Amino acid sequence: MALESFAKSRSLTMGIELELQLVNLHDYDLVGAAPDLLRYVEKQKRSLDIKEEMTISMIEMATGICENYTDALQQLTEIRDLLVDGADHLNVGICGGGTHAFQHWGDQKISDKPRYNELSELYGYLAKQFTIFGQHVHIGCPAPDVALYVMHGLSRYVPHFIALSASSPFVQGNDSGFQSARLNSVFAFPLSGRAPFVETWADFEAFFQKMTATGVVKSMKDFYWDVRPKPEYGTVEVRVMDTPLSVGHAARIAAYIQSVARYLIIERPFQPVDDDYLVYTFNRFQACRFGYAGTYVDPRTHEHRSIAEELLESFVRIEQHAVELGADEACRALRDDVIAGRNDATLLRSEWQGSHSLPEVVQAQCALWRL
Amino acid sequence: MDFSFLPGWPLQFNETLRVAIALIFAGLAGEVVARLVRLPRITGYSLAGILLGPSVLGWFGVEELGSLRLVIDLALALLLFELGIRVDLRWFRKNPWILASSVAEAGLTFLATFYALRWMGTGTGLAATVAAIAIGTSPAVVMRVAAELRAEGQVTQRLFVHTALNVFYSVVLSKLIVGGMHGAFRADWLAAVFHPLYLISGSLLMGVAIAIAFRGLRRVFDLSDEQGVATLFGLLLLALALFQMFALPTTLAPLLAGVLVKHWDRRPHLWPRHFGTAGGVLVILLFVFTEVTLTGKAIVAGGLSALVLIGVRVLSKGVGVAAFGSFGGLSLRQSLALGVALLPMSGVAFVLTEDVRSIYPEFGAQIGAIVLSMTAVLELLGPIGVQWALIFSNETKTETKKGGR
Repeated sequence: MALESFAKSRSLTMGIELELQLVNLHDYDLVGAAPDLLRYVEKQKRSLDIKEEMTISMIEMATGICENYTDALQQLTEIRDLLVDGADHLNVGICGGGTHAFQHWGDQKISDKPRYNELSELYGYLAKQFTIFGQHVHIGCPAPDVALYVMHGLSRYVPHFIALSASSPFVQGNDSGFQSARLNSVFAFPLSGRAPFVETWADFEAFFQKMTATGVVKSMKDFYWDVRPKPEYGTVEVRVMDTPLSVGHAARIAAYIQSVARYLIIERPFQPVDDDYLVYTFNRFQACRFGYAGTYVDPRTHEHRSIAEELLESFVRIEQHAVELGADEACRALRDDVIAGRNDATLLRSEWQGSHSLPEVVQAQCALWRL
Repeated sequence: MDFSFLPGWPLQFNETLRVAIALIFAGLAGEVVARLVRLPRITGYSLAGILLGPSVLGWFGVEELGSLRLVIDLALALLLFELGIRVDLRWFRKNPWILASSVAEAGLTFLATFYALRWMGTGTGLAATVAAIAIGTSPAVVMRVAAELRAEGQVTQRLFVHTALNVFYSVVLSKLIVGGMHGAFRADWLAAVFHPLYLISGSLLMGVAIAIAFRGLRRVFDLSDEQGVATLFGLLLLALALFQMFALPTTLAPLLAGVLVKHWDRRPHLWPRHFGTAGGVLVILLFVFTEVTLTGKAIVAGGLSALVLIGVRVLSKGVGVAAFGSFGGLSLRQSLALGVALLPMSGVAFVLTEDVRSIYPEFGAQIGAIVLSMTAVLELLGPIGVQWALIFSNETKTETKKGGR
């Protein structure tokens, strides 16, 4: 099967997808309410993009094409409000966060859709383990070769995105010690990790041909890469983020990615090489484990610095691009978070310190999602 | 040599021995039923009750129950309190269709039962009382089967809410009817007004008092540890003692207290696993002993009308729920499941019948004949219905448990 051609999209437009948790309001464990919530949404006839996910206690919302931060925030808020109304109607809770704090993966049920049944058949328990919740951000690229440049460029920033969005410290009832434990579950999949080092669309098509010829993959959907091109939309998709606890934070992170992408496209600050990826998994692990305090190894200078330092420098570097895009307010708020050492993972841990009860942590997540 | 240190002969069976054997027997029956036929354990407990009771083995008689009434009441109070916590008053404001569906289902059941009994030639007062009791759905069956299957979801949630509301309707209505009988039988119209008023307002006040006391306790204790739970047991036992002193019904106040606790404090109210175990033992006894009270004679006396009423019940609960189900956000499949899950009758019906019997023994016996034979059938079929409904609506979580065994 040939790879579809890279669609036209306006440069630097955004699209945001968020996977959300559905919980009951009694003990705040996950509850399989996605079919009920989708039935509610359908009745409202609002033509907003809301759909099922791998298991029935997950639901996915997506914006349309967003021009800028303000537009993205407005679209996210509109969908969020509809979902909150639906959740109220059904007396269930809805919230962000990369993992549910204490669900048991064995309790989860696969959505009754052909694609999910196939995945469950193929991956076995990994499919149920995949009850994790991420944010995906699409950035429009003017041409396929530019998209590949942006993809390799953004890969360097993956630790930034992880540290900013981390919201999954608790897994299966325990503190994992990680700030983003969610990504550990993604790594279990055979086609996860980084994309291959190809710089032109022609080479990428050749790679795709070889992979389909092996029979291992059928479409781009089968690659669970951290950053991948999405030819269907004409975008590059960043998939490493945990779902933040509020739509505001989700919009700010998207705005930062958009600003970095503009910096990459316009300034072309470096020529990517395959060796950039030597430190990739190390840096990624450091961000998941320690957040801002993690070590970032510069692929060129081999200098070791904290991710916080890297982030603060990056905010200065991209400032002009953020201003051009109307993303400066969002980036300033993120910078304040970095300086204060604050992200959603630390917030969840401090909630736990207050109550020593994971159900109460989830209750707090539900309240934050409505802010 | 003096042999007086030896026990007298023949040996006397004491009550502890009987209860102990009942427990072991019921526990075994529950396991057998659950493993071999995959039916809810409760059905096994009830079967054990029937076997041990006067109609088969005669191991227990109704007269032995007096001293165990406290056990039944405590088990019920615990269950009702837990049920109350599952009812979220805010939901009714956000989704009034839940209330509409509940009123429709309860109202239809009342009217259909009433007219069915009238059609079979029963007197108005008797028909109304039985109809009021028949509104109820057994909280014990619903809570235990849902817990056994670890069910959670729209049907489970609505089942809890409908069950709680049905307890409320059936208690209030049957008290009002008892009030009416003071007027009809004794021409005491003052009592007709004040007796139900006293019972209902007294229960409300007690409910508020328990809720406030519980909140106070929760501030001091972590109720998910064992000391905290002992205190909670104590609190409910104290409440039971007070109900007796003030001649108040035992059903309404614990339920209301649970509702208020959840309304005032949205935090999860969870008990440690031990509490489930201790509560579970009480519940086993509850099922064994409500079934023990059935005598073959009573079943035959109420038999035919009971069967008609069960048919009427299936129809009216189903239609009532389905009428507003889709407005409230249920699929047709879920409405059907909910209608079936609302069938069980047991503990509360039993207690309400006993309450009437204690005031008007003869009238109470007539009610008892019908209600108890309904209960007998529904206590066996009801749990199976609830189990079927929760599996049918895909809300159970037992698959992995089975695998792990």
